[in-house]
Amino acid sequence: MAQSNFDRRRINGPEESFQPTFEDDDDRETRWKPGNPRIGRGARDIRPIFLTAGLINQANGSAYIETEKTKIACAVYGPRQSKSTTYNEKGRLNVEVKFSPFSCTRRRVPIRDAEDRSVAVQIQQALVPAVRLELLPKSTIDIFITIIENDGIEGCIAAGSVAASAALADAGIEMLGLVASCSAAVVGKEIWLDPTEEEGKASSGTLILAGMPALGTITSVWQSGSMTPADGIKCMEACQERYTDIHAVIAQSLLDNAQNNT
Amino acid sequence: MAAVLLSKSERAYIQSSLKATPPLRADGRGLLDFRTVLLETGVAPLANGSARLNIGKMAREGGGGTEIVAAAKLEVEDVESGDGVDGGRVACSVTCSPAAYPHLSSNALDELQHDLSVILQQTIGHPSLHPRNLTIIPRKKSWLLNLDAVVLADAGNVVDALFMAARAALWDAKVPRTRAVQYRAPEALKSAKNDVPGAMDVDEGTSGFDTRDMARTAADFELPDYWDEGETLDGREKWPVCVTLNLLTPRHFLDATPAEEASVPQRLHLMFSFVPSAPPTLQAMRLLGPEELDLKDLKESIAFGEQYAKELFTALETKLREEDNRRNIKARDRFALMR
Repeated sequence: MAQSNFDRRRINGPEESFQPTFEDDDDRETRWKPGNPRIGRGARDIRPIFLTAGLINQANGSAYIETEKTKIACAVYGPRQSKSTTYNEKGRLNVEVKFSPFSCTRRRVPIRDAEDRSVAVQIQQALVPAVRLELLPKSTIDIFITIIENDGIEGCIAAGSVAASAALADAGIEMLGLVASCSAAVVGKEIWLDPTEEEGKASSGTLILAGMPALGTITSVWQSGSMTPADGIKCMEACQERYTDIHAVIAQSLLDNAQNNT
Repeated sequence: MAAVLLSKSERAYIQSSLKATPPLRADGRGLLDFRTVLLETGVAPLANGSARLNIGKMAREGGGGTEIVAAAKLEVEDVESGDGVDGGRVACSVTCSPAAYPHLSSNALDELQHDLSVILQQTIGHPSLHPRNLTIIPRKKSWLLNLDAVVLADAGNVVDALFMAARAALWDAKVPRTRAVQYRAPEALKSAKNDVPGAMDVDEGTSGFDTRDMARTAADFELPDYWDEGETLDGREKWPVCVTLNLLTPRHFLDATPAEEASVPQRLHLMFSFVPSAPPTLQAMRLLGPEELDLKDLKESIAFGEQYAKELFTALETKLREEDNRRNIKARDRFALMR
């Protein structure tokens, strides 16, 4: 890793390290080949979601989400007074994402690296239109997201946005609506929702859509890789249809949490 | 992008004039008009391909506008022991000159250039656009294509300018020709050994120390000296162009100045790639800003964006071919005249 972020106060890994080489899966025959239907689930199915609000006690609001191999914890602190002295008419939504060192196949150094910020920026974009920051002048809302296990960056960003939105609601921060998010990938001629890491690699293009199902509006679109505009629109429609279901999951978990606490 | 200090009343003034019928812009342009775009390729002699782009230079005042220099430089990487990947890599970076953003702190500047680098890397470095001629020796050596852009001045619409400059630099990039080199034991040595009468009985071919057969495949490469600098990057028609739609529902406009950027709540970056033989493809899409949008509006915006991107692409393509012509054919003719 880059020597510039060398932290001498920490026990660093060996100077040189290699990611483990896994034996080629024995299920070579069962591996997906172009032209075949998707393995394990339908093209428009997403991984089952386990979402619970109120995981971290010391935070104002928190949530934990698990979609098969993606595991994310999220805590919300605030609204609290901004540290900077400049006057801000609108509140600030600060999102910080941290990959745990063991979250990926290759070890990630514990120090802030480049991908953290790009993921944080995307999650922030998904949430900002929903949060009523105009009601919170001079204050900051901090959202800390820890990715415990990562299976595909697209799914990670979508799940992170969902968890953050649940945590914001758990913290009692006013929002226009709950934000739900879903990812899609174009594989061959098909559209697969919520791709895993391997499926993401097999795809020609991926898309992440976030929005407020209750209002029927979109807060963030992120697309990468090549797809025709028509495919892009199809992906967005599929995502929008699916994240309405995710919205119900978030609502249910918030309800459960509220009922348990009283 | 970079938050320009703008008072509420200024913002409201700009917004209401954009929303007026007919819409008004401070510099008198229509909503869909671009400022003048100036482009020159081959500006960095040490790079494999480079371009300098300016949007909105004032003809009479001799300055102004968004100014970007982009350069592509190739580097040899070892696949077996180094960071190299079989088939080559593409790495993009954007540097924002502090001179272009005097109002930003160094932290904010870092974040800005990181965000711009990410959008360039995610779009240009995506496997779907990967050029196929970055291999030197399969499984041994490959090229690392570094695309570095420097923002020298920002007068709005940096992302569009960045992608145009990137496209021009990559279009201009030449991959040096290489010739594989292999090691072989000299023929004379082999025959001399066999002729010696009563030589020690060595069972040929089974010796574990005989490495001559192992090094038959290409081991290294050399650069043949040739009149041109090499061949162009594979698939150079595919490099995308970006159009930024500044959304002020129900209107949108292109090529915003910094003041206009600061007064518009939302923008949509659309990167399109137009390959002559295939339908246009969307290479990246980003929605930015603290506003929400309907799917219907988004679909319309994409359709409009495709149209604008096509026009931008055609204009850029014409200019790039003209530049190729200027730097190769015309330069050769001039050289011939001089002799």
